[in-house]
Order: sequence, then structure tokens, then C-alpha cells
Amino acid sequence: MKKKLVGFLGATLAATMMAGMVAGASEEITVTLGIWPEDTLTDEIAMHEGFLEKMKEVRPDVTYEPAYYKYSTDTFMPMVEAGTVPTVFESWFTEPQKLIKQEAVADITDQLEERGWLDAMNPSIRELLSDENGHVYGVPRDGYALGVMCNKALFEEAGLVDENGVPQFPQTWDELLETAKTIHETTGSAGLCLLAKDNAGGWHFSNIAWAFGATLVTENEDGSFTANLASDEAIAAMEYVKELVDAGVLTADPTSEDWGTGFTQLATGGAAMYIAANDAVNQPTQANGMALEDLAMCAIPAGPGGQFSLSGGTPYMFSKDATPEEINAALDYLEIMGKTPIVTDDVVAGLEADAQMRKDSGIPVIQKFPCWINQDFLDAETKTIEENANVDPALYQSYFDAVSSDGLRTEEPGQTQDMYAELTKVLQAVITDADADIPALMQTANDNYQAILDNPVVAEAE
Amino acid sequence: MKKKTKFKRRDLISWLVMLPSLILFTFYIWEPLLENVRLSLYSTIRYQTVNFVGLANYARVLKVPDFKAAFVNTFSYTFWSLVIGFFIPIIMAVLISETVHMKSFFRVGVYFPNIVPGLATIWIWNYFFTPGPTGVLNILLGKIGIEPFVWLNNTKWTIPLIVVTMTWKAAGSTALIYMASISGISADLYEAATIDGASIWQRIRHITLPSINGLARTLLIMQVISVFQILYEPMVLKNGGPNNASISLMMLVYRFAFRDSDFAGAAALSVMICIILIILSGVYMKVAKKKEEY
Amino acid sequence: MFFRKYFDKRDGAIRGYDMHSPKSRVLSIIIMLLCIVMVVTALFPVVWVFLASFKDIKDFTRNVTIVPQHFDLEGVKKTWGQLKFSKFYLNSMMLVAGSVVCAVIFNGLLAYGLAVLKPKGYKVIQALVMWSLLIPSTASIVALFRNINMLGFSKSFLPLWLSYGANAFWVILFKEFFEDIPRELVESARLDGCGTLQVFQKMILPLSKPIIMVVAIFAVTAAWSDFLLPYLVLNGSGKETVMVKLFSFKDTPTNAVSMLRAVMFSIIPPTILFILFQKQITDGAAAGAVKG
Repeated sequence: MKKKLVGFLGATLAATMMAGMVAGASEEITVTLGIWPEDTLTDEIAMHEGFLEKMKEVRPDVTYEPAYYKYSTDTFMPMVEAGTVPTVFESWFTEPQKLIKQEAVADITDQLEERGWLDAMNPSIRELLSDENGHVYGVPRDGYALGVMCNKALFEEAGLVDENGVPQFPQTWDELLETAKTIHETTGSAGLCLLAKDNAGGWHFSNIAWAFGATLVTENEDGSFTANLASDEAIAAMEYVKELVDAGVLTADPTSEDWGTGFTQLATGGAAMYIAANDAVNQPTQANGMALEDLAMCAIPAGPGGQFSLSGGTPYMFSKDATPEEINAALDYLEIMGKTPIVTDDVVAGLEADAQMRKDSGIPVIQKFPCWINQDFLDAETKTIEENANVDPALYQSYFDAVSSDGLRTEEPGQTQDMYAELTKVLQAVITDADADIPALMQTANDNYQAILDNPVVAEAE
Repeated sequence: MKKKTKFKRRDLISWLVMLPSLILFTFYIWEPLLENVRLSLYSTIRYQTVNFVGLANYARVLKVPDFKAAFVNTFSYTFWSLVIGFFIPIIMAVLISETVHMKSFFRVGVYFPNIVPGLATIWIWNYFFTPGPTGVLNILLGKIGIEPFVWLNNTKWTIPLIVVTMTWKAAGSTALIYMASISGISADLYEAATIDGASIWQRIRHITLPSINGLARTLLIMQVISVFQILYEPMVLKNGGPNNASISLMMLVYRFAFRDSDFAGAAALSVMICIILIILSGVYMKVAKKKEEY
Repeated sequence: MFFRKYFDKRDGAIRGYDMHSPKSRVLSIIIMLLCIVMVVTALFPVVWVFLASFKDIKDFTRNVTIVPQHFDLEGVKKTWGQLKFSKFYLNSMMLVAGSVVCAVIFNGLLAYGLAVLKPKGYKVIQALVMWSLLIPSTASIVALFRNINMLGFSKSFLPLWLSYGANAFWVILFKEFFEDIPRELVESARLDGCGTLQVFQKMILPLSKPIIMVVAIFAVTAAWSDFLLPYLVLNGSGKETVMVKLFSFKDTPTNAVSMLRAVMFSIIPPTILFILFQKQITDGAAAGAVKG
């Protein structure tokens, strides 16, 4: 009954708004916040309630409604159809290009342009959130770059720490294999948690492939793509994975490990190393109970082809039905959260609140990957982080040195998820079959991926 | 004939009685099915149809590299479920029928897995099949000194083992159905056979089994239909792997619809699955009828 | 003593008189042992979940044991609180209750029409219902979900309850039962001046308790275990059921022990129901067989 009433009120409200627009009067703006935290995260909810209070002063003309929505691929498109997508929501880093192609999210280029934020956005992230005409569809929540998270306790047990207690991080993939062996022999734990259950396997593998000098797909001048999974370099990278498998340094069943279980393995001492990004430091700690001081992070190791870390960003995106006014009001909210290039006292307070929340929840407060590159914002962010630091910076130094170098790469172009799926299948074969013929498997993966590239999902008008 | 008008009134009322249920069937089953057929013939953006493309979506789905593996596997699931899942409940029913002690405990015990939610079952077996020493089955093997086994990661075993988990859940309830049928067999038949000198095995072979024959046939086709639509077991356990060893047709449908938002592709493939099922059932019924005629 | 009881055996191939032969005695003991093995196999996985749920995460991921080192009752309580399971239990019960009512009423009425009333053209419906058994329900779920959304029914139990009113298998169960009710009974009720619905209410319903029980049991199990449509409809509404929560773990990484505990929580209510009604359930399940 109550629900019906709410629905009725909502409809009335919408009708009133329409009437208002027709009449040209100043209409009520309502923004639904899909970015509201899940109801179990009380600390974060308190933080957002603070933001709401602030918004009452800044934008008294706007009604902000909490509407927690956890993005998932299976619920999103039907919600778009039904028009129930919140004004602003958080998506996954894999999704922007798909959502843009499916015309499921709002183009916010004009709003960002007006605010002068377009050029402040980190260009590599901006590209991930743009279509081929340069229109932008999202605001980055966090940038990320992959590195290797380490369980310091296991490194200590294996005697792999220097005099300051900092783990001796592997610099190259060969060193990583050796480190993993030592850890496995001395502690019995796996050296590395390699993922091979779903596309995250291919996602991680592309870092290894790059280090061995591979380029996995190339974009041609006519806009088509050529798969390149069977190059000597890519095969060498897969051979390296086989070395890891044969050395017995992986967890019991990599084909059951996905993004989430990897953090459990790392946190519970099941594995000493795990490829993960800086924006996920809450996973081993807050979600899996790892002690703050046991977590360390280093750069993705180098290989014969150089050192590369995959980077990207988790985006905030906007309902395709949102009006420019609503989008602007939502951007104002993001501004208070400290997720935009603007620096004001309110924003500093927002950053401060975020850092405090992390401290309270036992999450490392570490530098972020720069989403915005205007100096005043970077300075403000760095200042908050330094003031609230709760971990030894030495444990993360090697990681941050690497991500500020030029070894950052964004995802390969083309239908990347399908490429990851093909690579994951090869990983699974290598893991489960001792006699796996790697060049042949990579060739099959290459042919499959090329077939997918040549056979686009959205059938165009005839 | 003279009561024609009266019958008409009664027909109307009868239809009215069925109407609410028919509306539900239409809304939940028939209309979505037709909608699927329509969708499969169009190109789409999200859920909006854009252009009529004829059978292009079907052609596209057939060209997806994983299609062949999914197609072959789906038949492989069906095959193994006939080998494992079909006979085990019959054996269980015969065995339990031949006990007198703790019979009701056996009945209740073997039925129990059926009330465990399917999703919970899959998660439980996931931990049973964990390779390495901490997997539950490997712990048990370790107790009798056997080395850990890789279970689902041996691609020869992936599908049969997944069928085992499905059998674990379903066999007990099927066995109860057979048992009800077995307990209805007249005692005279057995006694007459005994007087003719038939051994216990011969009595089971020539009296028990033939009398559940018809029931077995019905259950068989129901089983084929449900196994053909296998989705969650391989999806949750191995995500279709290792290297496509467990991917099924319904998993592809799920991927098209829920990972790629390619609703036209999903619709095309599910229409194909329906057609295959209808053909299978049709052929089966034909064969079953023929047998009866002989 | 042990073998004496076989003389009371009323069904199956082995009879009391077989007990005179030692070979048959051995055979019956072997059969008994095999049955024990079967029951242990059926029960062990669930017993294991209950044991493993009391392990802590390190004990679970590192130790090669079935029984926990110590029973982490606090941890279980904590998981219950963190996952807010009380709420999900309540939601699940709401879903189950409404689903059972819809399952019995709507499938029963349709079967009544097909088995007893048989109005002109009923055969078309009968064929459609039979063919519905062949349709993969997951295949058209997207289309269905869109329809639900278009009617504005999302985030409510209503579309889920009603979905249980359209189950071809249950219609067939009802239909076969109704067909066994003697026509004369129906006709005599008719002659007494009962209308169509009155016949159903006064004649059919009282006779149908066994089949109603069967369908109700099936509906309880199905509604408690169902997750895809509930997930699509209820996710984010505050009405998520236990299974919706379990299914949404696919997007929310959770450590293995919390996961197992959630699995255990999801098994407890059906287990209790099963223990309370074991006789009705096992009898009903056997009686509910589709005739060969």
C-alpha cells in the first residue's frame, strides 16, 4: 500500500514537473542517487548524510533522493527500458564503451564543458569514457592502475624482507617466479594467486603479455581490428604462465579464482602475491579482515618487453533520461564528494570525511591515481592523504613510482571482454592440461577472437 | 443437441473460471515466448527493435566461436544424465523397496537433498570439488591415503561430475516416485514366480523392472528436457570452463542477454533451443509409440 | 529377530520365505548396507555445510579437516548480523506464502477447467499447457521482466506470487488427479443445483486435499529456492529474499566462510519444515508422480 502511495506521489510529482516545464515556471529538480552506499555500510552512509546536509545549502532547489543501486549487467538494461535508472550511478570499468554503444547513458559533454572540467580530466581516463566523436559520458570516481598486492607476513616468514621490514618486491617476472618458489617452499602457501575463472584472468594476463612485448590487438585505419594473440611474444607470456603452473606456486585451483576470491587468498595467507589495483585496498582489509600493516603493494614486474601496468577508471555515469538540469545537480553532488576537479572548503571537507571513514574502517589511506590533473586538486588530495596516512609509505613506494612512469597502458581496444574470455580459456587449458600445446591454443584463441571482431554484436541497419 | 444453448452458457462460465489462470499463462509464458521469436528477427539497440534482419541473428549466433562447444556439451550433459541420472533412482528405489528395517528413514533421508535450494547445492559441491588438499572430497580421500584429485579440472570428468551433483539433488525424489509404483505391484506375481523357481534377481528383472517401465519413460523425457536447459551448475562451478569444457547452450543465452545486452542474439538462441527440444520430444514420442505397437 | 521382520514385508521381490536361504539373508544385509551408504551420501554434504560454517576463515582455507578446530559461534552470529539475514528470512516467507496460495488457486482452477468442465476448445489450451513444459523458462525471462516493468510491478512481490499461478507441471498434476474423481459425483452435484464454482468448492476441493498438499509442498520448495526472477524484480527494493542475497554474491565478493554461512542459513528453514512434515512430504512426493 505504502509503495503504491509512493508510486502515486511519484507520478503526481512527475506530472507536476511536466506541467511546470510547459508553463516555463521554475521546476523542482529531483536527483536520484544510485551512488548511495549499501545499507550495511553505516560509516559511508553517515558520510553521505553529511553531504546531503551540505547540499541543502548549496542547492536548495534540488531534492536529492538516496536510491542505492549496485550496477550489474543483468539488471541494468531492463531498468533502462523501464526508465528506472537513477540519475547518477556507479558502473564498472568494463562497461562504459558498451553502455555508450547501446545508447543507455547520457552524454554529459556540454555540462562538463560549461564547468570547464573537460580538460582537467586525465586524458587516458577521458578516452575510456568517450565515444569515437569525443563526446564524454562519465566522470571518473577513481582511477586505478594494476600492481601486485603482497601479504607482508608471508614475505617475512620466507625471510624476504629488507632491514626496514619492507618486502623484497620482485622487479621482473622471473624474479616473481623465484620469489613465489621461495615463499611456497618455506611457508607452504601459494606464491601467487593467478585468476582463471572468468574474464579477469585475461584482464590480468594482458599485463604479463605486454611485459613480454606483445600487443594483443591492433586497430586498423578503417576502424576494424586485427587480433594478435598468437604472436611470439604473447606465446612467450603464456609459456611463462606454464612455468608458474609447473613450479606449483599457484593456489590449488586457479580456474576457481576470480577477482573476489583472490583477495580472500591474499588476506588469509593462501597466497602471497596477487595482481590488484590501488582502488581495491579495501578488499583484503575491510572485506577480508587482513591487518592493515600486513598489506604491501609493488609495481607489476617488468619483462623482456618493458614494464607496463593496466590502468583505467571506475566511472560515475548518468541515466539517459536525465535532463541537463538533473545532470548538473548530480555533478554538484559529486563536487561535494570531492570527485571533481573543483577545490573549495566544502570539497576539502568531503575529502577529509572520506579519508576519516577509511581510517575508521581499517582501509589503507594511500595516494590515488589521478583522475583530474589540475594542480590545485592534486595538491588538496595529496594533503588530505598525507595528513590521514595510516600505513607506512615505504610499503607502497615501488607501486607509486611505477604508476607515475610512462608504463601505464589502458585496455586494448576492440571487443576487449571477448579477448579476455579467449585468453582465459587458454589459461584454463594451460592450468588443467599438462600437455597443453600453447602455440596451438593461442592460435585458436586468435582465430576465435578475430571471428568475434569480424562478426559484430549489434547488427547494423541493412 | 436440444440443450445447445444451455451448454453454451456453461462453456462461457467454464472459460471464465479458467480465465485468470490463462491470463497468467499468457503473461508469464506464452507472450514472452512470442516476443522472443519477434525479437530474434530484428536488430536491436538495448531492447528496442531497429530493423527487420530476417535470420541474420541466427546466423550470427551460429558463428560465435563458443557455439560449437556449447552445442556438443549440451548433448553430452544429456547423455551423461541418462547414464548416471536415469538409472541411479531406479536402483535406489529397488534397493529401498527390498528393505524392512528403517525403511521410512531411508525414504526421508534420500529425499532430503531435494529440499536443499539449488543454488545452495551448487555452492556446497563447489567446495567438495576444490582441487588441492583442502577440498572436501580430497580431505576424505586423504583419510584413506589417496592423493588429491583435480575433479572438475580434469576436462574428461567435468561434465559427468556436474551430472553427479544434479543426480545427488534429484535422485531421491525420483526414487520415491518409483517406489510408489513398485509397492503397487501385486504380491501374487512374486509368489507365482517364486513357485516357478525364480531367484530374487530374476524376480526383480522380470517383474519389478517391467512394471515401472512406463513410468520410467515419462520420467526420462522430463529429465532430458530439464537437463537440456542446464545453466547454473556450470556457470557457478566453473563459469563454463576449463577451456569451455562445461559451457552449455543456456549459458550462452545468459551471456548474450545478461553480459553483452545482446537481446536479439539471446532470443535467437533460445528459440533454437526450444526448437531442438520440440524435435527431441517429438522423435521420442514417435519412438515410444512405435515400441508400444510391437 | 532381524530376519523375522521380512515376513511382514508386503512389497518388492524379497519375501519372508526367502529368509530361509542363507544367501538371501546375506543379500538382504548387503542391500541394507547399501541403503545406509545412500542415506549417508545424501545427508553428508549438508552436515558438512553446518560444520564448515563454524570454522573461521583461516581454519577453512588452510586446514585439512572436516570438523572445525573450534566452533566459531560468535563469527556465525556476526555474519548473520552483517548480512542482515532476519530481513531476508522475513522476505522469503512473504514470497513463499503468497506463491503457495497462487500456485494452488490458479493452477487448480485451470486444471478444473481442463479435467472436469471441458468447455468447447479446451483441447487447444491443454496442448498449449503441455507444450509449455518444453519452454526453457530462463530463455524468455528478459522479455518477461520487461513486461513486468512496463506494468509498473517491479520491486514488489506481486509479479512473483502470480508467476507461481502459471506452472504447466502443476496444472498437469492437478488435472490428472481431478480426472480420477468419478464423473458421477460431479454430475450428481450438478443435478443438486450446484453452479460451476460451487461444484469446485463443495465437491472437488474437499476431495483434493492430497494433491493440494503436494502442489503446496512443491510450491514452498520452489518459491524458497527461486532466484533469477526474484533477483531481477526485487534487487535493490529492500525486499530481497534469502536466495536473491545468495545469488547477488556473484557481484559482491564475499569471503568463503560468510558465503558458506549464508548457504547454511538458506538451508535451515526448509530443513525444519522437512523434519516437521517429513511424512506428508515424502508421501506427497511419491503420490504426485505423473502417470506413465
